[in-house]
Amino acid sequence: MGRLKQKGKAGAAKNYTTRSAAVKKLQCSLADFRRLCILKGIFPREPRNRKKANKGSSAPTSFYYTKDIAYLAHEPILKKLREHKAFAKKLSRALGRGEWASAKSLEENKPIYKLDHIIKERYPTFIDALRDIDDALCMAFLFSSLPSSARLPPELVENCARLSAEWQLYTLHTQALRKAFLSIKGVYYQAEVMGETITWLVPYQFTQNVPTDVDIRVMLTFLELYQTLLSFVFFKLYTDSGLVYPPPLDAKKDEGAAGLAALSLQNISRTVPAQTTTTPVVNGRQITGKDVRQTIKAISTDVSMDVSEVQAPLPEEQSDVQEEDFVVHTSKSDPNATSLPTLQSLSSLPGTLSTNLFSPYTFFLSREISRPIFEFILKCFGGRVGWPASSGGGSPFTDSDPSITHVIIDRPVVEKEESADQRELRRRRKYVQPQWVVDCINAGKILLEDNYAQGKSLPPHLSPFGEYEGAYVPMEGGDVSMSAEQDNEEEDEEMEEDNTADGGIDAALSAEVETTAMLRAAELAAEAAGIDSSTFEARVEQIKKKQPQQSQKAKTDDQEEDMNKMMMSNKQRKLYEKVKHGQQKRVNERLKLENRRKELNKKQS
Amino acid sequence: MSKGITHKSSSKRRRPDSDDDEPQNLQAIGNLEMLSDEEDGGDASSDDGEVDNFPELVAESSDEGEDDEEDEDEDEDEEGDSEEGEDDTEEETDAESDTGSEIHIFPKAKTVVSDITQQPKLVYPQIEPDYDSDSSTEDTPNRVGNIPMHWYDDMPHIGYDINGKKVLRPAKGDELDKFLATVDDASAWTSAFDKNTQMDKPLTPEELDIIRRLHDGENPDASYNPYEPTVEWFTGKGKEEIMPLSGALQPKRRWVPSRWEKQKVLKIVRAIRQGRIVPNKPKSTNKFEPYAIWSSEPSTSNPPLPAPKPRLPTNAESYNPPEEYLPTEEEKKAWESQDPEDRERDFLPQKYTSLRLVPAYDRFINERFNRQLDLYLAPRIQRVKLNIDPKSLIPKLPSPNSLKPFPNYRSLQFYHAKGRARCLSISPDGEWVVSGDEEGIVSLWEVMVGREVKRWKFNGKIGALAWCPRTDVSYFAVGIDDTILFIIPPNVDSTISALTVSVLSPATLPPAPATPSPVKWSSVAASSWSSDKPILTLSLPSSSGLPGQFSWHRRGDYLASVSTGGGEKGGVWIHQITRRHSQAPFKKIKGTVQNVLFHPTKPHLFVATQQYVRIYNLSEQKLIKTLIPGIRWISSMDVHPSGDHLIVGGYDRKLCWFDLELSEKPYKVLRYHSRAIRSLHFHPTYPLFASSSDDGSIQIFHARVYNDLMTDPLIVPLKILRGHQVVDDLGVLQVRWSSKQPWLVSCGADSTVSVWCS
Repeated sequence: MGRLKQKGKAGAAKNYTTRSAAVKKLQCSLADFRRLCILKGIFPREPRNRKKANKGSSAPTSFYYTKDIAYLAHEPILKKLREHKAFAKKLSRALGRGEWASAKSLEENKPIYKLDHIIKERYPTFIDALRDIDDALCMAFLFSSLPSSARLPPELVENCARLSAEWQLYTLHTQALRKAFLSIKGVYYQAEVMGETITWLVPYQFTQNVPTDVDIRVMLTFLELYQTLLSFVFFKLYTDSGLVYPPPLDAKKDEGAAGLAALSLQNISRTVPAQTTTTPVVNGRQITGKDVRQTIKAISTDVSMDVSEVQAPLPEEQSDVQEEDFVVHTSKSDPNATSLPTLQSLSSLPGTLSTNLFSPYTFFLSREISRPIFEFILKCFGGRVGWPASSGGGSPFTDSDPSITHVIIDRPVVEKEESADQRELRRRRKYVQPQWVVDCINAGKILLEDNYAQGKSLPPHLSPFGEYEGAYVPMEGGDVSMSAEQDNEEEDEEMEEDNTADGGIDAALSAEVETTAMLRAAELAAEAAGIDSSTFEARVEQIKKKQPQQSQKAKTDDQEEDMNKMMMSNKQRKLYEKVKHGQQKRVNERLKLENRRKELNKKQS
Repeated sequence: MSKGITHKSSSKRRRPDSDDDEPQNLQAIGNLEMLSDEEDGGDASSDDGEVDNFPELVAESSDEGEDDEEDEDEDEDEEGDSEEGEDDTEEETDAESDTGSEIHIFPKAKTVVSDITQQPKLVYPQIEPDYDSDSSTEDTPNRVGNIPMHWYDDMPHIGYDINGKKVLRPAKGDELDKFLATVDDASAWTSAFDKNTQMDKPLTPEELDIIRRLHDGENPDASYNPYEPTVEWFTGKGKEEIMPLSGALQPKRRWVPSRWEKQKVLKIVRAIRQGRIVPNKPKSTNKFEPYAIWSSEPSTSNPPLPAPKPRLPTNAESYNPPEEYLPTEEEKKAWESQDPEDRERDFLPQKYTSLRLVPAYDRFINERFNRQLDLYLAPRIQRVKLNIDPKSLIPKLPSPNSLKPFPNYRSLQFYHAKGRARCLSISPDGEWVVSGDEEGIVSLWEVMVGREVKRWKFNGKIGALAWCPRTDVSYFAVGIDDTILFIIPPNVDSTISALTVSVLSPATLPPAPATPSPVKWSSVAASSWSSDKPILTLSLPSSSGLPGQFSWHRRGDYLASVSTGGGEKGGVWIHQITRRHSQAPFKKIKGTVQNVLFHPTKPHLFVATQQYVRIYNLSEQKLIKTLIPGIRWISSMDVHPSGDHLIVGGYDRKLCWFDLELSEKPYKVLRYHSRAIRSLHFHPTYPLFASSSDDGSIQIFHARVYNDLMTDPLIVPLKILRGHQVVDDLGVLQVRWSSKQPWLVSCGADSTVSVWCS
């Protein structure tokens, strides 16, 4: 006889730990435990049997794998959190006693944890990390638009803004943007970087307020992780494409008042190849910063010169030279030449498809257009973009530039007096609403501008991401289904023709068996074709049977199936019903939309 | 106490022309300044005479204290660095002079500046050397001293005075006197019992003051000042320690700089010079200093599963969706009334005519937050997404068309006048049907044409009908209240008829069995018999109930009957026709017996109780097997003609197929009827069986059983026969197969009997 088995010593009881037990084991507060779980990516598990996992109790608790908790117990960050607890105690004591000096030194030596090892643990390879940056990007974009407060220090917001700008710069540089979608929640972008599809959502440019029912601590913990992740991913992306990371942002800071106009400058100056800067990265950054400052000084002193004129040539020269260098160098002396060309080819492959969609055009954004969105989209697809001074400085051209081909405008048409020049300009340019841009890139071609002309009611804006298979297709739903049916019929006919050697007669028969006269005619035709009468009659019989049978057959098949359902096991039946239910739901949804479309069409006509 | 005043006076005293009455003036000034205090002071003075007012004392003292503090505040700067010593000496004295007019326990000294030495000195009041002068000697006639006074308890006196005369015990009134005394005397509540004089003595103001102080937790000594200024005897200006306390030599380390310290400092200096230590280096504030983290080899362990990505937006989320996506008013209301967790979509589709009109999405942060909650709080389960055609789940069975013949239409209907047609039986040659209803009518009719040949009318419900399986005789058994009747149908061959009569009513009765049975066998004599009447009547013991089910043994000699009354023996009887003997096979049986069946080939008996089916070997008289169908209440069962398979139907709609060789658990459980199963029957020759149910339908199955043990029986549903009406929640009550043809006869609660043909 073996050993007696004790209850709760093996199996689910041992493999799962409740949350409170985990907190007790780790000897940390619940808040710290949460923080740890977020950072380490540990989430509760659902045991097969809750009672077995919880010593017979069915109380609602969340369970973690015991091994996960053991893994957390060895986490260096847990130690840091404990140190931080001690630090907080010491600091509060020092402050309470008014020992300012010791408080200051404590504050200076405050324990700080780093998340590098966690990034490496959670994402062992770069592709793993890249696959998972969707949420991180969303958060970075969201927090870059939040107002800073006591809970949200300005450095944090600034860092998020920097990260989101860096990502945009990278997608711009590699022309990785594929799709965009203007939804009621914000703008969805989809980019393809190194074969990974990355989708992120950017809220429209309004001040967001953190609602009270949101635990900002949780969000900040996530943000901490995401910032680290993004900085590592961007570092890899930038350095892989031969760029300096972080891209020199000092220029933007220095410019200050000019605001977003600095973006264009960055865009070019960031293409400092890694191999030319043999000096540390920091030096390179400082130098460029200085240069920028000098140029700005020169601009401010030189009154006669136009801002845009000065800014444009200086960086362009640099970039031209550098780009040449960069291309030659990478092809020659890259140690891991096998990997880099493939990456480049990967990124360039889709680029040939539609990334230069807007390259022949020059766009001017009207002042009511959200510049960050459309500047980004247009530039990603190779367009030249200008904007009025009211949407920020740094526009490469003004609205009177003759090269402008399209004006993106979102205003109702207002009748007004125009001079001859203006009329001429108006004639030469196309005035389109912003949806045109997004629809063009989603369609992968330049759409007809007339549908999107200023003041016109727009065609519906559809999601480029598609829906499930068999879903309702909005625009030409009826047409599609019609054509599909026709196809089916045709196929069926073809099949029949293939089956019988002389299908022509058969087809005639099937159509004409009803009337005796026709039958006679068919018989004659058959004789002419050299078929003897017995086979002809047999075929007539066959077809006569076939016709009413075809409808009946389907019915009997259904009945048989219904009866065969009796023989299904319970498990199979449940699964069957579940699948059927899901299908029915989808069909209902589609039918609802189709019916509504029909009603709308009726109303319109 | 009155520190301020003392300070002031002392500072004043520095001037040569200072007066003694200066303090009083100052006091007056102070009083003038503090109006509220002055009032208090006035009150105190007016109350002065009353003894019983404790607060008076309190007010006075606290007043003074406050005054003093105020004064002190004022005078602090004025005083400057006057000599503390003097102040202290004067302090007490001045306090006494202030409060001199008031209560004192001990004689207080006055401080007076001596005329001769010009120094202040203490002057105590003169003691007048009278007898009355000392209060302690004033009124203590009793001179016994400090002894326990209870020694005098029994004596008329309480001690002796100075002259040695007895001091008589003062008169002690009764309780009323005492009470009256307390009422009359205002000072009664401040007086205490004096042991020495054995009477109440009023307490002096000093004693009251002590009591009050003790009560308040103060120092009992009224003259004690807890807030005396510190006297800096050794520290303070001009009093620093100049000379060492001891004459020991100073250690060298006091003035020689440390060499080790110097070395340490030098080390640091060197490090700073070489740049190893950067003093006041700005801490790297950036927590996110990136580097090539993925350049090192990745660990071999599998990465954690990536979190599922959120769903991509669909057309409905567009700012300008096609109009059919916009919700109607009802949908909007329904969406709003739903809980946020139950909503299928977390937004309502909306349409804006142009992009500039699109507002901020107010739940943006909430949705991000919810996503994060999902990421770290939601248990994740890895699900295999089923992408299967649901039709592939339906088992592939041969088409019913290939399994013909089976009944698929109703060829004729036979009507009972009224009452449910409860039971029926088909003759072994398959040409006649008897059917019985609840009105007591048994009809005999032809299967082919439905013509009624004969009708019997009995009193009471017909519970069961069963045709004897023998082909050389022809009769059937009818179960009515407590009796079983045996009837010979008309229009039979004369030879068969004669044989039947001789079987049922033999000329010579077989010998009576050794153990008499409670079942009475009574037969009509062959001569007086007519087909209108039953030829043989078995009267079961009274109150055994309606025989609800019959089962003939295949030889046609034994008939098993189950009565609904049950009883201890389960209502099961086995009747042997040739020996005209009935016996109960079970002395006692657990549960109520629902059904009994003879095994078609072996001497076995199947007994279905409410939940179990037991198989008994009748020859060996023992239990072979118990089958557990898992049905709550068994309604019917039938055994396959091969004897190896059994089907059991229940009121809980289940049908169980047992392979008796295999297990006591069902090989297959089917549930297809929507109501209780009423009757089951295997076809004796064709591979068919039928089940009837209270939902009014009859289900025909093809049931092929293979001889080799490896192949499972094939069960194919063939046809659902509908046509019976459901009356009072009862549908088809019994089905029976014709023995030669694949025809089915069914009787229902709608008082019809139907014949279903192929």
